[in-house]
Amino acid sequence: MSARRLLPWLALVLVLAGALVVGSAGDGGPRTDAERTAALSSQLRCPTCRGQSVRDSNAPAAAAIRTEIARRVEEGQSDEEILAYVDGQFSESLLLTPPRSGVGSLVWILPVAALVVALAGLAAAFRRWRPPAPPEVSEEDRRRVAEALGSEGTDR
Amino acid sequence: MRPVNAALGSAGVMLGLVASVLGALTLAAGLRQRRRTGAPPFLCRSGPPAGTHRRKNGSGGDEVGGGSGPGLGLLWLGRSFAWLVLGGAVLATVAMEIALVTHDFSLQYVADNGSRSTPLLYTVASLWSALEGSIILWALVLSGFLAALVRRFADQAGDPLVAWATLAMFVVAAFFFALMVGPADPFTTVAGAVPADGPGPNPLLQNHPLMAVHPPLLYLGYVGFTVPFAFAVAALVTGRVGEGWLAATRRWTLVAWGFLTTGIVLGAWWSYEVLGWGGFWAWDPVENASFLPWLTGTAYLHSVMIQQRRGMLRVWNLSLLVATFSLTILGTFLTRSGVLDSVHSFTESPIGPWLLSFFGATVVVSLGLIGWRGDRLRAPGRIDSPVSREGAFLANNVVFAAFAFVVLLGTVFPLLVEAVNDDRISVGTPYFNRMTMPLGLVLLFLMAVAPALPWRKASGELLRTRLHWPAWAATGVVVAAVLLGARGLAPLLAFGLGAFAAAAALRQLALAARASRRRGGSVLAGVVGRANGGMVVHLGVVLVAVAFAAASSYDSSVEARLAPGESVSLAGHTVTYLGMDEPVVTGQRETVAARVQVDGGQVFQPALNRFPNATQTIGTPSVRTGLTEDVYLTLVAGPDQPGDPAVIGVVVQPLVVWLWIGGGVMALGTVLAVWPGEHRRRQAGVAVRAGHDGGDTDEDAARDPVDVDARPEPAGVS
Repeated sequence: MSARRLLPWLALVLVLAGALVVGSAGDGGPRTDAERTAALSSQLRCPTCRGQSVRDSNAPAAAAIRTEIARRVEEGQSDEEILAYVDGQFSESLLLTPPRSGVGSLVWILPVAALVVALAGLAAAFRRWRPPAPPEVSEEDRRRVAEALGSEGTDR
Repeated sequence: MRPVNAALGSAGVMLGLVASVLGALTLAAGLRQRRRTGAPPFLCRSGPPAGTHRRKNGSGGDEVGGGSGPGLGLLWLGRSFAWLVLGGAVLATVAMEIALVTHDFSLQYVADNGSRSTPLLYTVASLWSALEGSIILWALVLSGFLAALVRRFADQAGDPLVAWATLAMFVVAAFFFALMVGPADPFTTVAGAVPADGPGPNPLLQNHPLMAVHPPLLYLGYVGFTVPFAFAVAALVTGRVGEGWLAATRRWTLVAWGFLTTGIVLGAWWSYEVLGWGGFWAWDPVENASFLPWLTGTAYLHSVMIQQRRGMLRVWNLSLLVATFSLTILGTFLTRSGVLDSVHSFTESPIGPWLLSFFGATVVVSLGLIGWRGDRLRAPGRIDSPVSREGAFLANNVVFAAFAFVVLLGTVFPLLVEAVNDDRISVGTPYFNRMTMPLGLVLLFLMAVAPALPWRKASGELLRTRLHWPAWAATGVVVAAVLLGARGLAPLLAFGLGAFAAAAALRQLALAARASRRRGGSVLAGVVGRANGGMVVHLGVVLVAVAFAAASSYDSSVEARLAPGESVSLAGHTVTYLGMDEPVVTGQRETVAARVQVDGGQVFQPALNRFPNATQTIGTPSVRTGLTEDVYLTLVAGPDQPGDPAVIGVVVQPLVVWLWIGGGVMALGTVLAVWPGEHRRRQAGVAVRAGHDGGDTDEDAARDPVDVDARPEPAGVS
């Protein structure tokens, strides 16, 4: 392919990559205390409701946890400290993100493993579907074809 | 009056059960007779003219294709039981609605879910506010589909494929009526004295009119997938696993999919308008239960095109339909049995084991049938290149399957862990967002590339030409988003790929419109038909995806304790608390509303409702909706004393309204895809229905090769 036809695509890739780099560089996660509180409380399950996070719930227990998180954020505690503290206050885990070790880690591993297996299966299927290679043609065969084709074939 | 409703309802349920069982048995007997006497197989395409003729002349003559024979009478009789089933379901529904509207508290269901002070709309909608009533709705929708199927295929009633599909529908219907006779009897009467009033439905379910439409639409979608599933079973049983049944059920599947899509979007809208946290999707098990069949159903709608075009992927397509149907049952089990509270509590609800057994039976029977027909399901074709339309559909299917696997695993994983080692863990939004986001981005990419790919094999040159301007549109959108201040790799990729996919869909629509005009047709024809309607659906998906990415990435929220006159600022908006309105009492509900001014302009009234039988107050959020962003206001806590500060919640999210608009576009696209295209309209009036898209099965063709070409020409028949 000629360079002239490739050029617009090269330009496109450069522009796109530049924009994405600039766009993702400024993304340093939550900065203000309120944003940190919101981010942390969406990581925790509301202890008295079903399927809602502490951030989303209007229940008194959730409101109390939000206040506690806000206080600790203001004190300057790290995200891990705060999550560990709140989670430790209850007998059942409130963390909405499943653990990365033990049985719980399977929920992360299984889908990735399944996807890898599926893609491998697909690749194998394509290999199977590949058209058969053209049969080997011997010199003998070529000669016969040439003969059959007459004089115009004998040149080659 | 009192025992009448219970008696009528129970009679309806019994009628439905008996009619479904008799229908199934009669059809089975008819099929058996035909099989035993070796009546010639009755092909879809030769059915209609013969069928019409037969109906007029009674027994009919000895027509080509086996227009008569032993067992035919039984098949005709069996299908007519569908109308009795429908009658039973209508009777049960009407009895329950009368009981609800007339406040017949002698019925346990009405005593539990009705109240004299509930407005009429929500009283009518109470039918689906609890388990037993929602099973009535399920049975009603299912028998509606059953009757529609019988009517639609009336001309082919003698065709074993149609008979088996009808039989499968009867069996499913029998199961749901049996649920109402057994563990979920909606017509039990109260023991002891009849209460004077009831608590009314769950307060959350009587807070927004969407509750009146969202569940029925969802059920139409959920239950609608029973029809293609029944045909899949019929195709396996009869061995006619070619493409005929696909063509016959194409629109049924699309209609079910359209209803399911609309139901899910309306559910998200309902939760946005009612739940008061500014969100619309929480990956909660009930939502996941409706989303799972949508994922597998969507995968099916794409992969079925490979089978229709190339005759391949038969096992895969059957498996997707089986998965879609069984996921609706599994979802109902998960959300209705109480199993999600704890693995150990599900046996407490009597319906859990029933649903789980039915799910298990469905999966085992279907997989058994697929295994049994394995030899016929092997297709000779092959896919030449991964860079082709087929390749893109295959990739689409792998991603959709992975998506469904993630959602299913995340939903049931806490149960599995609890069952294994009695540990309780949560799998919540952070997990689902992280795992599904890359899959969603890949799907957007495929949506952009697939329409540009030709069947069989694409060249790089062709792709470069076709994708040229969509790629620049994507780049332009990303650059513009960055310039406007959007940050974060994931949302930027979503915007860019969204623009890429939208441009590809628009290009496709423009080409179709131009081609139609050149042929002398109307421009409108560019948006009608399966492929073009599909592109409109893609545009809706892009809107939803972009809105989802923007709203969940760039939301900001604050909760502020404000004295009257005080303000809080958030994301460039100033929200001022003006004071409280006088409490309003409507029926049993007491509502207190705050007056909150946004940006010194319009005053909004987020409120709190107190219901006598609820421990918690239920909020009514108030939203300033805009095309670019929503300002979402909630009253978190009212003042203790008049004049005290109140706690006001504010959420600012961009582009939320485009979620609902995108949902509307998807529904519109589905309608356009179902609408007969030019090709179909030309053939309208021709009785050849099933198998008309070149959908003759290979088996049929092999058995009777002449017939494929001898299909009646449109002119010859009409």
